[in-house]
Amino acid sequence: MISLATARERWTSFLGCFVAVALGVAVVAMSMLVLLSDGRRVPERLAGAPVLVQSPAGTQTGGVFAENPPWAPERAEELRRELAELPGVADAVTDRSFYAQAADTEQRRGERQGHPWSTAALAEYGLSEGGPPVTADEIVVDRSLGLTPGEPVTVLTARGPQRFSVSGTMNGPGYYVTDRRASELAGGVRTIGLLLEPGSDATRVAAAARRVVDGDGTVLTGASRNALAPKQDEMTRWIGGQVLTAMALLSAFVAVFIVSSAFAFAVAQRRREFGLLRTIGATPRQLKRLVYGEALAVGAVGAAAGALLGVVLAPTVNGVLIDAGFQPAGFEVRLRWWVPVAAFAAGLVVALAGVGAASRRASRVKPLEAMREAAVDSRPMTRRRWAVGLAATGVGAVCSAGTAFAGADGMVLLTLGTAMSLTVGLTLLAPALVGPVIRTLTRPFVRRPGVTAVLVRENMITAVRRTSATLAPVLATVAFAVLITSTVQMTQSADTARQAAAVRAEAAVVPRGAPGLSDAAVARIEGTSLLSTTVYGGEGGAALSAAGVASGFEQAYAVPAPRGDTVVVTAAVAAAHGWRKDHVASLTLEDGRTRRLHVTAVVDDSMPYQVFLPRDLVRDHDPSALADVAYRTTPAPARLLPGLRADEVSVEAYAASDDAEEDRLVWIFTLMLVAVSAGYTAIAVASTLLTATAGRVRDFRVLRLSGATPRQVLRALAAETCCVVVLGAALGLAVAAPGLFGAAHGLREELGLPVELSLAWSWLTGVVTGCLLLGTAATVLPAHLALRRMRRA
Amino acid sequence: MCRVVLLPLSCIMTTTHTTSAAVRPVELCSVTKRHGMGDQAVTALDDVSTHFAAGTMTAVMGPSGSGKSTLLHCAAGLDRPTTGEVLIGGTDLGGLDENALTVLRRERVGFVFQAFNLVSALTAAQNVELPLRLAGRRPAAEEVRAVLAAVGLADRLGHRPGELSGGQQQRVAIARAMIARPAVLFADEPTGALDSGASRMVLRLLRDLVDSHGQTVVMVTHDPAAAAYADRVLVLADGRLVDELAGAAGAEAIAARTAALEVGP
Repeated sequence: MISLATARERWTSFLGCFVAVALGVAVVAMSMLVLLSDGRRVPERLAGAPVLVQSPAGTQTGGVFAENPPWAPERAEELRRELAELPGVADAVTDRSFYAQAADTEQRRGERQGHPWSTAALAEYGLSEGGPPVTADEIVVDRSLGLTPGEPVTVLTARGPQRFSVSGTMNGPGYYVTDRRASELAGGVRTIGLLLEPGSDATRVAAAARRVVDGDGTVLTGASRNALAPKQDEMTRWIGGQVLTAMALLSAFVAVFIVSSAFAFAVAQRRREFGLLRTIGATPRQLKRLVYGEALAVGAVGAAAGALLGVVLAPTVNGVLIDAGFQPAGFEVRLRWWVPVAAFAAGLVVALAGVGAASRRASRVKPLEAMREAAVDSRPMTRRRWAVGLAATGVGAVCSAGTAFAGADGMVLLTLGTAMSLTVGLTLLAPALVGPVIRTLTRPFVRRPGVTAVLVRENMITAVRRTSATLAPVLATVAFAVLITSTVQMTQSADTARQAAAVRAEAAVVPRGAPGLSDAAVARIEGTSLLSTTVYGGEGGAALSAAGVASGFEQAYAVPAPRGDTVVVTAAVAAAHGWRKDHVASLTLEDGRTRRLHVTAVVDDSMPYQVFLPRDLVRDHDPSALADVAYRTTPAPARLLPGLRADEVSVEAYAASDDAEEDRLVWIFTLMLVAVSAGYTAIAVASTLLTATAGRVRDFRVLRLSGATPRQVLRALAAETCCVVVLGAALGLAVAAPGLFGAAHGLREELGLPVELSLAWSWLTGVVTGCLLLGTAATVLPAHLALRRMRRA
Repeated sequence: MCRVVLLPLSCIMTTTHTTSAAVRPVELCSVTKRHGMGDQAVTALDDVSTHFAAGTMTAVMGPSGSGKSTLLHCAAGLDRPTTGEVLIGGTDLGGLDENALTVLRRERVGFVFQAFNLVSALTAAQNVELPLRLAGRRPAAEEVRAVLAAVGLADRLGHRPGELSGGQQQRVAIARAMIARPAVLFADEPTGALDSGASRMVLRLLRDLVDSHGQTVVMVTHDPAAAAYADRVLVLADGRLVDELAGAAGAEAIAARTAALEVGP
């Protein structure tokens, strides 16, 4: 009863908690809904086969998404034959792909849309017009290209532009040529589709297929066929997952932080009331339960609103994520009833976790405190507060030291860890810091005439708790915003510098709207190109990014080029797989064949690929391999034809643009994180100041009665708020600094590049200005209203 | 100056028969209270012994800083004496932990403050039933209404403190103190924040509780007119009991005695 009544009465002080919990729960519910919706779909062109067999997966490392290594060609044919003979199976079809692209279409890196006609049997869709390709220069294309049977069409393949005649059109994507023509262009087999005889049971066939395959592949049926979704989509979702997880974690942290600081302040303001309850017979335990009850009431309302908001917003946010490139196109959110329920429960836990310390404090209020006109904060620092504050600061210091020696992955975590622990630590220690700092800083002003300086100084020092409660969210906002943006800024400049530093060439030729450069495009450039492919080798057949290189490579990169049956690998790969110079590495290539290659050199990890092979070797085994980039080493500009889908740019521009997409994603990610943390803390600042101002009406009256004009009162208040915000911003910078120094040091050591410690000034200015405006508004406006009411009364 | 010395003998005797029906509601035995430590220590109460008899109204007077509020806090179990014993209904408070002390206060002691001290979020009726709820009881609506009616506020059940006058708020506070039927009702300057009309009403209410219900009331006041309502007036100075007179002596006589203390050495 009391909890509910108080929550109703003191809604301003609970507003911050409510919004924090609601937003936190909304973000968590939304993230969980999006994360848990399995967006993977079996490609339409395979969906017609009830049972699909996938080649065995190689070792997967986190963040690397490569297709499974293909079967060896003989093994694939053997499997196909055995599977075709199973009872109930009408036919078994091997699926192969190659690069094919018509003019005026866009394809992304890694896309392979060409297939042999036989695989069309596996598709969900069929011919809409015309017939299958019969001769080598006939092709079936997607109806949406607007071509009709009999028309000529130029299709870009890995060799270059090739002329075909359209024999038919289909109701779905893909370029289908005769099996014989496809075998010249396509790589190895990764999937075998089974077409069933009418009336046979897919589950039984799948079981029989499993016995045949016996570990040399995965048999998929029904929904499990979704595992065949393009790895590109999976990677996009993985990135999206990272974004959402980080956002949810940060929201949860900030929500607990805000709830605890808001409740701590609310309890400090209500000592008289708690004292009164103690005198009329409330035990310490009952007070503790009362505060928990209030948190539960506010938390339940906030969490319910948040869960609802999350469900409503999930589809919209999903759309934004798709636009931003964090989710594959066409991905849909599936509503699961238990997700909002779990998020609601999490909201209650957050509220209860945040209120723990405050409730303990409330239970220690003595009955006699009801008699005091408590305006001065007695003993804001408890022994426990000292201990936890110092411990958190210590953890932060250790994390920041760790940042300097961590790798790229650990650096992000440690930097965030530094910021979180230092934020908690300094917030807890704030009451002890505020007094001395302000006393020192304001000493020169106090001697001057005028009332503002004296009022500001004494108010901040005596009401240490109010000062700290306002300061805490400002500190958190500034610390997170500066840390996140500055680290990203430094990392980006370092990456670009690394890329550009590695190559010596006149210019770079890059694909435009195509997955890569064809042989025809590369042939027009005097210099060197890197034919991109994937090889599988070493421990557990891990996927490695590889490039086929020819003459000119040595000149451009100043490292020895592989020749004949040899290979050059980077140091990290060599270490991971136990390869050394003059040893033999066994590598499986794109067509499924395995070659034993002599390691002629181990190069450093700054190279853009992990494995370097002779260009001809790559072309032999991967007929559809494309070059990611070609470098021109002669002064004369390359003569490029428009149909080749290639552009010439400067090496620096390429280095930057290569990262541009990644950078864009990272910036959006950064923006989201900063928006979440800053949005929250803004609410906290506003709600704390609103509450504080509401509780100071008596002070205003005394000031007015002692002769202060309303303007003087407001000026003193505004000045006080500005001082607190500036102090909070300074402490926030102090929190961010160790993390930034650590990150700069780590980047220098890890990349060997002179990374300058840089501060994202624009962000810092923006965030501090925002806090100042918001804080001043949240103090001056309610005070102005209170003063006017006073004048009227 | 006349100095009344109360022998602590009675205390020693009463501790032995706590179950007796003649148990005194409140007794203080050689109670000393010091605030602060070392050189800065201030003695607020200096070896005070007294008791408050059942069904009587006692006023505690004295100049500012004489220790009258401290006496009240110690007697009500809100504060613990540095040395000495306080017994409520025969139970020695020194032997109780914070929880047991709270429960005892809840059951035996009612408290009324100068600044009404109602929970602003709750209505008058909810404020009144608060002690019962804190004791884990479900108050009957009639019970609450009856208590509020007794203080003349039957029509203000659903009002929040902000909607009541000072005198009405103080009467709600008295109703709240009375609902648990305490053995003793302590009042700390109950009329200090009221005008004379409201003061008279509150004091008559307290007097009536003593006369018709046999309630024990202990009231701290600096107003001789208020003290005149009491059966017995105790006068404190510098933490010691220095005088005692009957309330029947009248406000002027009381004022004369206390004025002598204010201007005294």
